Amino acid sequence: MEKVTYIEIESLEGVQEHAIIDRGNGEYTSMLKSTYKAQQAEQSTPILSDESKTK
Amino acid sequence: MATSPNYGWLEPDNTDLVKNGALAIRTLGNAIDTTMATMTPKSTVTTKGDLVAATAASTPARLAVGNNGETLVADSSTSTGLRYQGNFAAGKNKIINGDFSVWQRGTSFTSYAGGYTSDRWTGTLDTSSAAVSRQTFTPGTAPVAGYEGQFFMRFTRGTGGTFCNVQQRIEDVRTFAGQTVTLSFWAKASASCTIEPYYIQSFGSGGSGDVSASFGTSTTLTTSWVRYSYTVAIPSVAGKTIGTSSYLAILTARITSGTNVDVDIWGVQVEAGSVATAFQTATGTIQGELAACQRYYWRAGGEAAYQRYGTGFAGNTTRVLFTFSPNQTMRTAPSSLDYSTICLYDGVTIIAATNVAIQTGTKACTELVVDVASGLTQFRPYEIMANNSTSSYLGLSAEL
Repeated sequence: MEKVTYIEIESLEGVQEHAIIDRGNGEYTSMLKSTYKAQQAEQSTPILSDESKTK
Repeated sequence: MATSPNYGWLEPDNTDLVKNGALAIRTLGNAIDTTMATMTPKSTVTTKGDLVAATAASTPARLAVGNNGETLVADSSTSTGLRYQGNFAAGKNKIINGDFSVWQRGTSFTSYAGGYTSDRWTGTLDTSSAAVSRQTFTPGTAPVAGYEGQFFMRFTRGTGGTFCNVQQRIEDVRTFAGQTVTLSFWAKASASCTIEPYYIQSFGSGGSGDVSASFGTSTTLTTSWVRYSYTVAIPSVAGKTIGTSSYLAILTARITSGTNVDVDIWGVQVEAGSVATAFQTATGTIQGELAACQRYYWRAGGEAAYQRYGTGFAGNTTRVLFTFSPNQTMRTAPSSLDYSTICLYDGVTIIAATNVAIQTGTKACTELVVDVASGLTQFRPYEIMANNSTSSYLGLSAEL
């Protein structure tokens, strides 16, 4: 089970919230929180939008 | 006496009074026979597509037709000086890493829905009971002569769910639009299994809705390597709106029936035309294929316990800023970062990283932040490196 934490990073571009996804075994993936949420939404409807068309 | 216009055979003039007709006919017949003996009989060619080629001066011989998609090349080592050979031209295959030679992310994936496995390869499935792993050919056993593959992909489908596939998303939906294309690959399965390849034209964010269809043929795989090919007309994009990150997805080993089965696949090729020509990778070279993969995903690591990734400086006591430039311009600014076992080093002390993230980036240069719990000295330079582990890595993703 993935564990996700969120951190804020301030830069010249402003403050952005990032997701840190713990994939286990000391492996992590980080991305913008908005990107992570979009991916989660896509996976919750299993590319299924793709595959449903193949039925 | 007159002569014939082409071969100079002796023949009577129109006005001659023939005194010895038998001799005249015999003379003409012998002349014709002599000429015909120098000509190639039509029986030389026996098969559709056969050619007549010379094995020496004035010595014609049959050159048997080649296989579909092959081209004729000069080769002085053959009897006719000619030889058919497969089309190994780079660039014809739009599938990157079709020989599964590049596995930057690892070699075994137990769950990969929506994620990537072997470089450029992803999949969709509605069951968690599926896996992908890299398998190694025993030397000399790759399924195609003339291309000694090293690895192939094993796609394992367990139970549950109704669909699963491995697919590659070819950048830009304009690819092959309005063209007939042929998909080909070698495959085998550990048990009864049927696949039916599919394609999806995705017009990207802000673009028109997807267009998808089957390649039109179902195939029941056997336990032996067999090359399969499928031809389909990809629709035109006329009248469509093309958004960002559009692609043409090719769903290859799309399993339509069969559970608890291992599907092995290798040598995937998608090319224009209706014939599957000899397999060739997209670039034709090892370094080219890796670079093509790195346009979408770039990873460093795994080479040394304290492998260095670069140098940055401490912005405060818990964060280092680090400019990181992959050696390959990426498709877009990276949208995510993979990492493992990273630390900072100031020449004396090693401090383990707690988080690493992309602060800002472009296609060619990305600034990362590396966080630690405490202990940095503001404005001091730090090396970013593996924390005593060859399992350490940094990876940037700009995948579709």
